[in-house]
Amino acid sequence: MSNMLLSQLLRLFNKTNCSVCSKRYSDVKVKSKDVDPFMVPYSNSPKDQQRLYVWGMAEHGALGDLKIRSRERNIQFIYRPVRMRFAYSHKIMDLACGYGFTVYAVDSNQYKLFGCGLNTDSQIGYHDPRKGYPLGLILATVPIQLPLEQLNTKVKAVAAGRAHTLVLTNTDDVYALGSNCYGQCGRPIIENEDYTKLRNVNSITLDDGIAKIICGQDHSLFITKTGKVYSCGWGADGQTGLGHYNNEFHPTVIEGDIKGQTIVKVVSSADCVLALNDKGEVFGWGNSEYGQLLLNDDKYQVNIPRNLPLKKSIGKIIDIGTTGSACIVLNDEGVVYVWGFGILGKGPEINRSREPTPIPPILFGRNQYNTETKVKSVSCSLFHMAAITTEGNLYTWGKNKWGQLGLGHTKDQYFPLQVSVGASVKKVSCGVDHMAALCKPYQ
Amino acid sequence: MTSVKRLQLTLAIMKPHVVSCPFSLLDIRRTILDNGFYVVRSVRQTIQLEQAERFYSEHKTKFFYNRLITFMTSGPSEAYILAREDAIAVWRRLMGPTKVFQSQLSHPDCIRARHGLTDTRNATHGSDSDESVRKEVNIMIPQFSFEHWNQIEEPLFRNGKVQFNKDQFIHVLHS
Repeated sequence: MSNMLLSQLLRLFNKTNCSVCSKRYSDVKVKSKDVDPFMVPYSNSPKDQQRLYVWGMAEHGALGDLKIRSRERNIQFIYRPVRMRFAYSHKIMDLACGYGFTVYAVDSNQYKLFGCGLNTDSQIGYHDPRKGYPLGLILATVPIQLPLEQLNTKVKAVAAGRAHTLVLTNTDDVYALGSNCYGQCGRPIIENEDYTKLRNVNSITLDDGIAKIICGQDHSLFITKTGKVYSCGWGADGQTGLGHYNNEFHPTVIEGDIKGQTIVKVVSSADCVLALNDKGEVFGWGNSEYGQLLLNDDKYQVNIPRNLPLKKSIGKIIDIGTTGSACIVLNDEGVVYVWGFGILGKGPEINRSREPTPIPPILFGRNQYNTETKVKSVSCSLFHMAAITTEGNLYTWGKNKWGQLGLGHTKDQYFPLQVSVGASVKKVSCGVDHMAALCKPYQ
Repeated sequence: MTSVKRLQLTLAIMKPHVVSCPFSLLDIRRTILDNGFYVVRSVRQTIQLEQAERFYSEHKTKFFYNRLITFMTSGPSEAYILAREDAIAVWRRLMGPTKVFQSQLSHPDCIRARHGLTDTRNATHGSDSDESVRKEVNIMIPQFSFEHWNQIEEPLFRNGKVQFNKDQFIHVLHS
């Protein structure tokens, strides 16, 4: 009896509530100027839609407002993909995960760059809600000011290192934010500079025009439109490839074996660098303590690019990646090869390989029913690897300290396993302790 | 009569990448306190080139010397003098093996596996013997007096006549 009464009461209550709501919203005419940009979709077309999923360490705020919005305020990490509303209101062109922070390039006439997370080196800009006290942690996705000269300039790409961010615009300018302690922002190193209160953004231009930007942990690399590679930053392992082991603040062209080659991709997540040319050959320089550069002599550091002696049987390489202690390449048949040290994705027994060895394609979903399934691209962070297949499925493996593999647990993963992302994955960025994936909804 | 076990000192350094990451720094500090260490001195400073060269003089011929020096001088770091029975061994056990990529697999719960990034950016430093404690403290915190510690401070710390200052992360004597 009392139950029935209660339910009737509830229904009545809901009804009144509802009518009030609808009345309130139908009466008020919102001026287009006052619309909260976070609440309206960037496009009404069903074809032009995207999804953003993030997971991993939440303590720094790199997962946006998830930490402050969630009911349990003290969440430390999230070990499965969570969909972010941010991609509903902002058209994301590119994304990059650094150490504890994330940056997004957005196609818009107003704000073109957003960031969230760790900001102790001003790597996501200067934000001081209380004048003179800049924030070191930002637990929401906030716009970052860039000194752009023209309003219609677009941000094409972003890259993130340990404590610095690079931003590439369609006018071929690169803007560098954050720590410059090794010259990674392309400007002279100032001794005892306080990076927590950094206001200025350094702009870098190269004669040939910059096509791609890449951040190592503490160094920066630029691919020009003519396929040359420039670098600046920390060179103590030879990761700048300039023939010496000193810091270099002036972006300088790298020679050695890549001289005269057209480089299409460069990757570096720690201090080892791999480069890929248009013919599918791989070059490398930097740290080789775990045999990443396939050298015959036991040399740990290489300061000039070398052609990697990959076997002919591997074929043409189409994608590359490096963790801190291992390398991964993908050939045009969609087969992934790994070598180096750490969790390589070949089971718990194998943690060292001196030669590139394949990961069985069956682990990426190729079987007698899906014979066409191939790996399309690979990406890496310091301690884990990820691969996207032609079907838009994401596979991850490696260390899983803060749930950065997104597999629903925090145990280490010794072979590739599919992440349950509820959309077709187009692009993924691996940070040190978190990941972000840009996806298309299933049609 | 049982002999009294004296407190041992060790020098711990939080390297620059940890100091710029609040979560890692707080987690390591918590580990220090949870394991019964007294924090006798706590200094935040950017290590100067000359200091770093003296500090790591024993590694001068190693291949990683240059990158170690440039890394340590790259930003603010924190130096703590820690006191505890058997402090040197306990702190080194908590830190784990030097090389982060290897310690991640062999000792996944140690400080370096949790907060280290690479073999150079390995989160923390700890002295390896009483002699190196003396040498390293003289370089990093030259105003510290071992004589004063042995005669006056040590018995007071041993008997717990201290209180903890949370803001400065240091144990101070009861006034």
